[in-house]
Amino acid sequence: MNLNTLKLTLIVLTALSILSCTKEEVNLNNLNETLIIRHKKADMPAYIHGNASEKVFLIVLHGGPGGNGLQYRINTIQGEIEKNNAVVYFDQRGSGTSQGSYSKNDVSIDVMAEDILALAKVIRSKYGEDSKLFLMGHSWGGTLGPAALLKDQSEFSGWIDVDGAHSWKSYNKVKNALLAKANEQIASGNSIDYWKGLISTVNNTASSFNEDDFFVLNKQSHALEKTLSKDKVIHESKSDYDGVYLSLLDFWNTLNVLSVLRKKGLFEFDYTDRLKEITIPSLVLWGKHDVIVPFTYAQEAYDKLGSSEKEIFVFEKSAHSPMSTEPELFSQKVISFINKHK
Amino acid sequence: MKLRDLVLRSFFVLILFTNTNLKAQKQTGTSSFLERTDFKIGYFGNLLVNHGANTGVEYLWKGKTKEKRQKTIHHHLLLHGSIGYTTNFFMETENGLSTYFGGILRRVNSKGRLLNLELNPIGYYRSLLPKTYKVDGNQVSKVRMAGRGYYAPSIAFGIGKYRKGKTRTGWYLNLRYFIRTPFNGNTFKMIELEYGHRFNFKKK
Repeated sequence: MNLNTLKLTLIVLTALSILSCTKEEVNLNNLNETLIIRHKKADMPAYIHGNASEKVFLIVLHGGPGGNGLQYRINTIQGEIEKNNAVVYFDQRGSGTSQGSYSKNDVSIDVMAEDILALAKVIRSKYGEDSKLFLMGHSWGGTLGPAALLKDQSEFSGWIDVDGAHSWKSYNKVKNALLAKANEQIASGNSIDYWKGLISTVNNTASSFNEDDFFVLNKQSHALEKTLSKDKVIHESKSDYDGVYLSLLDFWNTLNVLSVLRKKGLFEFDYTDRLKEITIPSLVLWGKHDVIVPFTYAQEAYDKLGSSEKEIFVFEKSAHSPMSTEPELFSQKVISFINKHK
Repeated sequence: MKLRDLVLRSFFVLILFTNTNLKAQKQTGTSSFLERTDFKIGYFGNLLVNHGANTGVEYLWKGKTKEKRQKTIHHHLLLHGSIGYTTNFFMETENGLSTYFGGILRRVNSKGRLLNLELNPIGYYRSLLPKTYKVDGNQVSKVRMAGRGYYAPSIAFGIGKYRKGKTRTGWYLNLRYFIRTPFNGNTFKMIELEYGHRFNFKKK
C-alpha cells in the first residue's frame, strides 16, 4: 500500500467515524419522526409529528380493527393539535404497515393493550421520563384504550374517548339506534324512501346476535352518514391528509386482523363494568348522530368512568367521526383538555 | 402437512421427475460452467406500490432437444438464485431484501420463444426497518440494523426470449406468487411481476 492510498484510507475512516458519532439532532418544536416499536414479535410504526417542546404527547389509537394511525393526521389534528403538542399516530399490531413474525396466539386485545404500554415506555425512554402522555381512542381505539388503561393508567395524564366502543355486545343497541334514526329522519321529512328501506333491512336481521347480520348493520350504519350529510343533518366529512398513504400491506392487514380477532371472540369484549376503575382525567367526545357506536354509549361511558375529573361533549352536526365533520370544534375540545391536565 | 413441507416435497419430486426423463440427448455435457451460467437483472414488484430490483444467476443443469416435424423444441432444467431489494416509495416502513433459490423448467421453441415455470422452495425476506426500539418488560433498547426475517418461497410462471450463443441471452416476464410466513398471525400472500434480461459473458 503506498502513502497516498494509506492517507486516503485514513481520511475516509476518520470521516466515517465522525459521522457515526454525530448525535442525532431532534427538533422538539416540530417533530417529524417514525419509530418502530418492537414488542412481542411485532414491529409497529409510530409516526410522531408536532410540537414536543413541552414533552406532551397525544397517542392516537385508530379505529378498526384494521385501519392505521396516519388516517387521523388530517384537518385540525395536523393543523392545530400538532401545534399545541406532539401527536403519535400508532399502527396497532397487525394493522397499517405493522409487521411481525408471530402466530394467531400472539394476537389478542391483551397483547395489543400491552403494545400501547410498550409505546409509552419508548416515548419516555426517548424523550424523557417527564413526558406527559394522553391517550385518545376512536371507535375500536375506544376498546383498546380502556384495555391499556386497565393494565396501567399511571403512564397517562388523560384519556379521550371519541365515539369509542367500550363494549362489542352492541347488536341490539345498533339495531335500535338505526330504527330510531330512521324514524327521526322520516318524521323530519328527510330522504323518506331511503330511511324506509333501511327500516326494512334492519327488520330483516336476526332478533338476537348474529355475526353476519352485525356486519350488515355496521355497513348500513356507515352508509347512512352520506344521507345525513346530503340532508345537512351532519356537516360534510373533510379529510385533507397532505401525504400519500398507499400500501397493499395495510389493505391485507385490515382484512387479516379483523378476521383473527373475530375468531378470538371480538364480540365478547365488554369493559362497561370496569370503566369505574379508570380514574385519570377523561374526556368523552361523541357525534350526536353516531349509529356505528350509538350515542347511548356516550352517556354510559361518561357515567361509568371512575374519574373525578371527567367531561362529555356532544357534536351536534356529527356522526361517528367528529374530527372529520366538526374539526375546529374537535381540536378546541382536545387542546383545552390536554392543556388543562398536562 | 405444513406448507413449507409441501413446497419442499413438490420441489424434490420435480427434480426427480426431470432427472429420470432427461437421460438422453444431453446438450450440456461438453459446455463449460460459465457457458451454462446466465446472469440476470431485472425489476420486480406490483407496478403500483411496491417496486424492486433483483439480480441473480441461472445454471443450465440439464437439457434435451426434441424434433417435432420441422420444429426443434428445447427443454431445460435450470438451478437459479436471486437477490433483490424492494421498497414502497410512499411508506418508509416497507423496505426489505428478498432472496430465493430453486429450479426452473423452461421450454424453448425453434424461434427462441420460451415458457418458464419456476419453483423456489428456499426463500427468505428480511424487512429493513427505520429507527427501532425493542421493549422487553421495562427494558427499552435501540435495535441496530433492525429487520426481521420471514420464510418466503415462491412460484412463478412466465414467458420470454432465449437467444443461444449471444451475450444478451434474452428477456423474461414472470408472474410470481409468493408468501411470507408466519406473518402477522397468518401467511402473507401476494402476486408480483418480474421483468428482466439475461446475460452470458462467455458466449459470443
